[in-house]
Amino acid sequence: MVDRRTFLKLAASLCTTFGVGSLPAPVLAALKKITPGAVPKLIYLQGMSCTGCSISLLQADSPSPLSLITDYSQLAFHADLSAISGKKALNLLEKYINGDAGEYFLAVEGAIPEKMPEACVIGNKTFAEHLEAAAKTMSGAIAIGACACDGGIPAAEGNLTGAIGLKDFYEKRGINKLVINIRGCSVHPDWVWHTIIHLVKIGVPELINDAPALFFSRKVHELCPRYHDFQQEIFAKKLGEKGCLFKLGCLGPDTHADCPTRWWNGGQTWCIDSNAPCIGCASPTFARKKDFPFYRISEQGHQPV
Amino acid sequence: MKIDLGPVTRIEGHLNVKTTIENQKVVDARCVGEMFRGFEVILKGRDPLDAQQITQRICGVCPYAHAIASSYAQENAYKLEVPANGRIMHNLIQGANHLYDYLLHFYQLSALDFVDVTAILQYTGKDADLLKVKGWVQYELASKKTFPAAPFLPRLNGDYIKDKDLNIGALKHYIEAMELQKKANRAAAIFGGKFPHSTAIFPGGCTQEARLDHIINYQSLIGEVREFIHNKYLPDILAVAEGFPEYWHIGASKGGFISYGLLPMSSERDSQRLLTGGILQGDSISPIDFGSITQDVGYARYSSPSGLKVSDSTLTPAPHKEGAYTWTKAPRYDGNVMEVGPAARVLVDYHQGHNQQVKSLVNSFATKVGIEAADLNSVLGRHLSRAINAVVIADFLLAESDRLTPGERTMADLSIPKEAEGYGATEASRGALLHYIRIKDYKIDNYECVVPTTWNASPRDDRGQPGAMESALIGTKISDPEDQIESVRIIHSFDPCIACSVH
Repeated sequence: MVDRRTFLKLAASLCTTFGVGSLPAPVLAALKKITPGAVPKLIYLQGMSCTGCSISLLQADSPSPLSLITDYSQLAFHADLSAISGKKALNLLEKYINGDAGEYFLAVEGAIPEKMPEACVIGNKTFAEHLEAAAKTMSGAIAIGACACDGGIPAAEGNLTGAIGLKDFYEKRGINKLVINIRGCSVHPDWVWHTIIHLVKIGVPELINDAPALFFSRKVHELCPRYHDFQQEIFAKKLGEKGCLFKLGCLGPDTHADCPTRWWNGGQTWCIDSNAPCIGCASPTFARKKDFPFYRISEQGHQPV
Repeated sequence: MKIDLGPVTRIEGHLNVKTTIENQKVVDARCVGEMFRGFEVILKGRDPLDAQQITQRICGVCPYAHAIASSYAQENAYKLEVPANGRIMHNLIQGANHLYDYLLHFYQLSALDFVDVTAILQYTGKDADLLKVKGWVQYELASKKTFPAAPFLPRLNGDYIKDKDLNIGALKHYIEAMELQKKANRAAAIFGGKFPHSTAIFPGGCTQEARLDHIINYQSLIGEVREFIHNKYLPDILAVAEGFPEYWHIGASKGGFISYGLLPMSSERDSQRLLTGGILQGDSISPIDFGSITQDVGYARYSSPSGLKVSDSTLTPAPHKEGAYTWTKAPRYDGNVMEVGPAARVLVDYHQGHNQQVKSLVNSFATKVGIEAADLNSVLGRHLSRAINAVVIADFLLAESDRLTPGERTMADLSIPKEAEGYGATEASRGALLHYIRIKDYKIDNYECVVPTTWNASPRDDRGQPGAMESALIGTKISDPEDQIESVRIIHSFDPCIACSVH
């Protein structure tokens, strides 16, 4: 049973974080007594990333993008949105990282080049140096996407830079700080925003493999609307066919994510609904091995091996 | 005086620009791409069908362009016959991706160079969104925060738009554009499976079915985006142009232009494209020969040989190489510096009198604002060119989606040869994108991408010629050497993407 105080606290988090517009009027009235802005700031840093996760975050429906920018007042720095650049942007970043601008959470998108620090630089420091400094002052970190969690594509076989994920990076340095992993290449916006609300207002959500259990406790295959096809042995034999995509290489059985129930881009689509096999982008070993291709086309006889 | 403009924000990725200032003028500029991952090495030895997935991760802003270029390269290598529906779906996905990217670029990435956000404090109207923003800014400024109203403040010193209504109108559209870019991406995801990073795009078409409900949903979304383009995006660009007319003559690059052409009009190989490709140097147009493209690494952090052709490319990183200042290679066409992107697409097409809509839009805007077509090589010219691209693409997508035949196949049967090679060339929103694949023993033997920002943010080549963006910056008069809002406006007009340029 949720008591009134807890409920109001949760509602307040939604209000200050993502906008008051979506809440019913009586709740709003009760909330006016709660001071907004007491929540920590978010510093968003990009390492060896493609910005795909940031772009995915902009595809959010709830919260709306407007709320993310205004009511969601914690976003103190994001390279894609910040008006300021150059030395003044660095000054802002350093004030936070040195602990001079208040409490903050670090959001990290992208891998870290452990063996070639020069492969990722922000201003006058390497990405690794920024992360080491931030570890001393941040309240915790959210690793956003495959690259920040486990290295992602930059850490795939052939990895020239020694790309690794954030948790690994901190563990190698004996730094013991909270790191929450939100996997996916890219992440689903709900996975990130809903985790942040939880983190800021309620505390650390239940984690499995350092990832929020709410989104990552079950396998794509278990939740798949085509699981029935699998049981009936109705398999797609070539790309573009309906049916269970397992024999084309679908990685749903190896991948923990709630895509089959959540869907993407306004809830109107997701990979398997478009007959595209799951490529396991939310798996810690996504794309890791060269001899483990995304598709098993040759077994279907239309690749003359 | 030497000033670093990095980290440059409101772009994709890690860019620094090292400038030298004398007498309030940029006398030297060096574009520094500060992030390297090594995609070509990761691709080597993989299954060729992994390529359109892996290469999308080069860039999460324009992943579909990479999926399409990779699919074209593989279609070329496999000698695939692509069904009409497959080609149409490729177009519907890629075109919608362009529309989102133009809106995102103008409003989220560029508008704050011109629009005065503090004008919201004078807002007296009743629009709920704007009142919300006003309340938020007031609250922030009254707070004791070290950095109130971030990420909008602090900002660069400069001359912002003074007209209150213009500023407030632009801020309203900033908010609306955030919704509209989602709609364009939703349209693309109908056929692409999801955005970013489509799983449904393959060489030979798409795995998605051609269904009437998909077509109707797509048209409804693109229709809304089209309306915004005509009623808000275009007028906003013209309003900025009216406030800053000098930017029709600031930020011209000093080389030629390349466009590979965008959106094939049929599924025939080498079919005519909606916007046609070519090389434009001065007033002369010539066809593209991929063999004329080489990449210098004299100033880039690689120890692999300089001046290699695309098909011979190799990659050995050398982070401490003497004299090198960037991770970006220097591509050249017959040794010449080239600008790529929206202005290149418009100019290359216009000079061939190919797309009549492009021609009439260029002519009518040129008359309206008092410029020549050649002035599209400028800060405002690049912004206007994006809008011209958007108008032409949106109309095309509505017609093209009607050509999708429900129930007909959307994918070719795939058969990967033991040995083959192929080029795939298209236009990402940021410009000319080339993928090259060579297959040996059914595996990728070599893969090379020559990406739009590799051209635009190119360093000096081995002959010492500055890249397109460097050349556009050199000579610029600036008011505040440290902030250099004029230089930042030039950089933003190219919409650089460093994840793409280095990859």
